[in-house]
Amino acid sequence: MTRQPKDLNGTLMMSRRGILLGGATLFAGSIAASLCPTLALAAVDAGTQGQFMKLSNLLIQHQLNPAVGARIVDMASGEYKNLAQMLDAIIAIAEKKNAAQVEDFFADIPDGELKDFAHWVISAWYSGCSSEKRNAAVFTYEEALTFRTTSDVVTIPSYGLSGPNLWTRPNVPLSAPMPRF
Amino acid sequence: MVTKNSADVVIVGTGVVGVVIAEQLLDAGHSVLMIEAGPRVTRAEVVENWRNAPLGVKGDTSVAYPSRPWAPHPMGNEKPEDAYLQLSGPDSYAQTFIRYAGGSTWHWAGTSWRLTPEDMRLKSLYGVGRDWAIDYDTLESYYVRTENKLGICGPSDRGLQWPQTGARSAPYPMPALPFSPGETRFTEIAKSLGYNNIPVAQARNSGMPYDGRPACCGNNNCVPVCPVAAKYDAETALHRLEKKGATLLVDSVVYKVETNAQNKIEAVSYYDQHKESHRITGKLFVLACNGLENPKLLLMSKDDRNPNGVANSSDQVGRNMMDHPQLTLTVTTKEPFWSGVGPVVNSGIMETSQGSFRSEHAGAYFRYNNFARNRFVTFAALKKGLVGKALDEEIRRMTACTADVVAAHEVLPDPNNRLTLSDKTDWLGLPKPHIHYDVGEYTRRSAEVYSLPIGKRIAEAMGATDVKISPKFNQSKHIMGGTIMGNEASNSVVDVDCRSHDHENLFIPGGGAMASTACGNSTITMVALAIKSADAIVEQMRGA
Ligand SMILES: Cc1cc2nc3c(=O)[nH]c(=O)nc-3n(C[C@H](O)[C@H](O)[C@H](O)COP(=O)(O)OP(=O)(O)OC[C@H]3O[C@@H](n4cnc5c(N)ncnc54)[C@H](O)[C@@H]3O)c2cc1C
Ligand code: SF4
Repeated sequence: MTRQPKDLNGTLMMSRRGILLGGATLFAGSIAASLCPTLALAAVDAGTQGQFMKLSNLLIQHQLNPAVGARIVDMASGEYKNLAQMLDAIIAIAEKKNAAQVEDFFADIPDGELKDFAHWVISAWYSGCSSEKRNAAVFTYEEALTFRTTSDVVTIPSYGLSGPNLWTRPNVPLSAPMPRF
Repeated sequence: MVTKNSADVVIVGTGVVGVVIAEQLLDAGHSVLMIEAGPRVTRAEVVENWRNAPLGVKGDTSVAYPSRPWAPHPMGNEKPEDAYLQLSGPDSYAQTFIRYAGGSTWHWAGTSWRLTPEDMRLKSLYGVGRDWAIDYDTLESYYVRTENKLGICGPSDRGLQWPQTGARSAPYPMPALPFSPGETRFTEIAKSLGYNNIPVAQARNSGMPYDGRPACCGNNNCVPVCPVAAKYDAETALHRLEKKGATLLVDSVVYKVETNAQNKIEAVSYYDQHKESHRITGKLFVLACNGLENPKLLLMSKDDRNPNGVANSSDQVGRNMMDHPQLTLTVTTKEPFWSGVGPVVNSGIMETSQGSFRSEHAGAYFRYNNFARNRFVTFAALKKGLVGKALDEEIRRMTACTADVVAAHEVLPDPNNRLTLSDKTDWLGLPKPHIHYDVGEYTRRSAEVYSLPIGKRIAEAMGATDVKISPKFNQSKHIMGGTIMGNEASNSVVDVDCRSHDHENLFIPGGGAMASTACGNSTITMVALAIKSADAIVEQMRGA
């Protein structure tokens, strides 16, 4: 059977990852923890979490997994002292514009701290990491949005999307519709 | 009989070279004890290490394999002063390899090009380098056995096989893997320039299970680990060896090869991870620590009878260090190629490695890298400051319309390209390896007058709007030359069976023995030499 790209979130794949995570040893766990030192903290209140997801949904018009969001906001709460105010400020800018999508209000976010933070939030969701650096915290691998933009064609490395010798297919033109995610 | 301290045959290293020899000796009824510097880990652990690594370092092939303090191997995050490999010279010899049970095939791509008959006769045909002490016809049957042992798939059409010169006495055990759309397009483009982009012979199960491992299902993660073991790696053989009776000592770093009054090898000594020393005796010894660790160990083992190091009466141990210096052209195109569908390397232009020009400069092999590109382009797209639909479209465009074309070159054996023992030491107090390296005029000239001009033509034919060329030669991680093979004990380290000229019960098979590199990835040749060694060892043990 050929599993098509729409299976990307399918149960088969998730269960394989579940098994691997379950089988991961203490050592792998310690690596993950050392790569993601801030993930150990879970000090963000529900209100801030809610605001963070609200902001994320204003910045990104795709389905966002709140579990990933919780990890991002955990890190943000350690990095940004005035996190709650920044969330409120950017949300207020969007609401003032009655924004339905990021394009409606992003230009109105003032340059500097607020704009940088907005870019960081977008970057976290798309890359699944806190930065490009070696010591970045990892929020997610396979749910990083970068892979969603190409999920009709490109494999998320280590999660095959076709089957034995089933990857020959016509080349997809750039004009093909963006996957819905 | 095998005990924890002795066996008929003691093999140091559990990489592919060590395990193919071990299996043959076990099958022949000999007791085998294998000593491995690094830890034994599960595939699930490696896969999770990889998935947990930040996107920005996923291109680092060692990131899923943190080295243990007692068994250091090169890691991408080392500061030069702390680095395991101490380097000097005009070019870098910054190899990567893994000191884990199973060795460096954990993260190899599985590309398996045979040498050509001409590759083994550089001196007689082109007046450069060295001729091999054996010819292609001698090696051919060992190539066939290697292809069957590792499960190397390849085309049945003779016109698409490599090499075109020289015989092939048996088909590949599995058909070639199909091309992805990008590879198909690249092949058409190469053809328009008169080049044949042919299917790679690769140690990957094609369309069927083989050797108890499943078919490749296109996870596109062959480097740094195949999550399902559809790609051969030596770890997949370890359980089988144990079932056949091998004893495996892990976390055990061999630091000395000991000779006796007859200058035969008597024992090896290793440190465990608590720095306790142990001694292992045997009738015959095989060093299979790879082309860099083998010479290091031999140099470390010098004694009164062997003042330059064990097996080193020729003073060639650690000299002639070679690799395939490579230059990458990162091409931005208008039309999408969509790398990242199927395995990570699946085709190559090999014919450009051959020709009479080799009297003047090196040949080169070109490959289209088929790695999914999100990890390489995402941060660059984000840095453009785009949001919303524009960001999605830019990531998609950059993933589809960028590609790496790699030119891998040959180098000549040069005694000045030399591994010595550094005065810096590792966690166990053992000397770190120091390598002085210069790719040489022969290879540099190729880049100037041959390989880069071809690469640029290919890029142009791909419709490149931008081409970035790596500013210096990078390593291919094919470690060769440091225990070079030859007929003369005066200028080579091992004979045609990879037996030390100096010690009749010491074998040093693998990449170190190779007398020329050619351009294609060389593990298949290392394994062919290992199987030849195993035949000789079985023969020698029969006489013993
Ligand atoms: C990223 C990457 C991609 C590659 N892709 C390809 C490819 O596509 N095609 C190809 O042909 N080649 C490829 N290679 C090269 C290939 O991995 C090596 O040529 C091959 O693994 C060499 O096999 P070996 O058994 O000689 O050494 P290794 O696989 O390195 O094994 C040596 C073993 O010896 C052990 N050891 C070392 N020192 C000691 C000691 N002192 N005591 C005890 N044990 C010790 C090590 O821990 C290790 O287990 C690639 C390499 C890398 C890094
Ligand atoms: S493409 Fe996937 S299944 Fe195939 S060898 Fe590579 S990692 Fe393994």
